[in-house]
Amino acid sequence: MTTTTAEARRISVGIGQLALSRDPRDVLVAYGLGSCVGISCWDPEAKVAALAHILLPSSEGKRVDDREPARFADSGIDLLLQRLAEAGAVRRRLIVKVAGGAAVLGAANAEKFKIGVRNAEAITERLKHHGIRVAAADLGGTKGRTMELHVATGKTFVRTAASPASEL
Amino acid sequence: MAVDELIPALASVAADGAVRAGRGLSGLMGQEISIHVPNIRVGTKNDACDAVGGEETVVIGSYLSISGDITGHVMLLFPEPRALECVDLMMGQEPGTTTGPDEMACSAISELGNIVGSAFVNALADHLNLVLHPSPPQVLHEMAIALVESVYAEVLSQGGDVVMMDAVFEDQKGRTAGLLIVAPDPASLGALQRVAA
Repeated sequence: MTTTTAEARRISVGIGQLALSRDPRDVLVAYGLGSCVGISCWDPEAKVAALAHILLPSSEGKRVDDREPARFADSGIDLLLQRLAEAGAVRRRLIVKVAGGAAVLGAANAEKFKIGVRNAEAITERLKHHGIRVAAADLGGTKGRTMELHVATGKTFVRTAASPASEL
Repeated sequence: MAVDELIPALASVAADGAVRAGRGLSGLMGQEISIHVPNIRVGTKNDACDAVGGEETVVIGSYLSISGDITGHVMLLFPEPRALECVDLMMGQEPGTTTGPDEMACSAISELGNIVGSAFVNALADHLNLVLHPSPPQVLHEMAIALVESVYAEVLSQGGDVVMMDAVFEDQKGRTAGLLIVAPDPASLGALQRVAA
């Protein structure tokens, strides 16, 4: 189960959004990741946490809309790392976990809906490009996931419609 | 015609589609269902899930793809308890008999998706004089946001705008009985604009 306390403040990180926090009361949550991918980052020394909710694999060099700064894997990850650095996080200390990239419209439609697989590949590649090793991943499959990052502990949890939260 | 101008042109088609779909739902459930005027919008649809209970809601429903003169996506979603009630009503069972999405319930939900989704697609085809084929329904038991977001991402990844039509059905107690979401693929928007003009 999650370690949410009574005074925990759940901050919803919507599609294309990213959130940073160093407040131990905060729990950053990306609800219902389908083909989207959530990226949780935690610097255990600086105690800075961030969660991004990526929608699509590539910005294809287009300008990113400020209202959805983490819409694309490439530009979203670049911005996520920049914000973390500005908040005092150090890249080599970051514990990065990823979840999502599913084909939730069923196995029969998986051939048509490849966006989840493409998102997962794009995210893995962009993190590698920045020299970041993924500490834990829960990608693919056919189930939607909710991902949450507890700022107090730096722990990341994933749950589905059918299964309770478990630590990633 | 710009995509924004397509919306009023599609409004009456969507309204008739929603009425026909609602009629199908009423007939299957054996009770009067009222229909809200459908929303048609361009852009991100976090709030499309509000009608079924917001971002943490788990829904049971079905997905159909549209092929033919245009291609696109149709989903009929029910908050989980409503879906189970629908199944009991359809099967003429005591309320509370169905407690989960078992094989019988999935079959009933599939039939609901088939009839209600096809009613909307047929309205679209009739009004716009298009040949459209709905696929067999895929039954889904999933977080509402994950479904909406996946269709949104797929359409968006093809380039162009996402136009989503959503209609909310209400039962006699004023509760959400279902949410119908229809999204054409971007390549079909041009064809829709030509015939809707």
